[in-house]
Amino acid sequence: MKKIPLSVEHFAGNLRAIAHFLLRSEDPHLFIPIMAIVDTGSPLTLIGPLDLKKMRLSKIQIQKIEGKLNPINVGGGEVSTKILEKTKLKFSNTNVEIEMPVHFPLRGEENPTQPSLLGVDFMLKTKAKLYFNPSRKEAYFEIED
Amino acid sequence: MTNQELVLLKNFEEDSLWFNRNIEEIRKEGFTKKFVAIKGKQILEGNENIDFLIQQLEKKGENPSFIFIGFVYPKGFTLIL
Repeated sequence: MKKIPLSVEHFAGNLRAIAHFLLRSEDPHLFIPIMAIVDTGSPLTLIGPLDLKKMRLSKIQIQKIEGKLNPINVGGGEVSTKILEKTKLKFSNTNVEIEMPVHFPLRGEENPTQPSLLGVDFMLKTKAKLYFNPSRKEAYFEIED
Repeated sequence: MTNQELVLLKNFEEDSLWFNRNIEEIRKEGFTKKFVAIKGKQILEGNENIDFLIQQLEKKGENPSFIFIGFVYPKGFTLIL
């Protein structure tokens, strides 16, 4: 078993489990640290519009994110995402690196205040269990080797 | 993880935690409903327009990808994801 430590912080009105990781992709070339809210209510892992803006993706880079647009509802607004299949997430304090599909919001009613989300797809991919104790401000993922 | 990656992620994480733990002070400094860029546990820049803020960071020679940027929600606001 490996542990991925998470932070428990007040964020937008409540205590949340927060993950920090490096997001990497070869093509398009991406390399960016991300703060994501661990959201067991979200079936998918989604890069928030703010993080997307920070990446300053060119049109050519966006074209490299293949696949059809997937309509999803985030925070009351509808956006269309594309999936970058071979995205790598690297977590600090561990040797854990996970390759998994990540959704990028490319069209729609973008709300730049919407945070990035680490969803249930991450937990399925890693067979992770989430320990979350807000009263003690403790949280971590426990994943199978 | 290389040393360079580790330092980058550690600095980012520390700035992220500093932002969340000092949000009251940041509000008192007039940044409510603004995006705020943090580096070295200090406010680099703040603006209500994220595109403008990113431009300002670039003018300062910073790479916005590596800088923590957070939105300062008003006190009492709860975001339901």
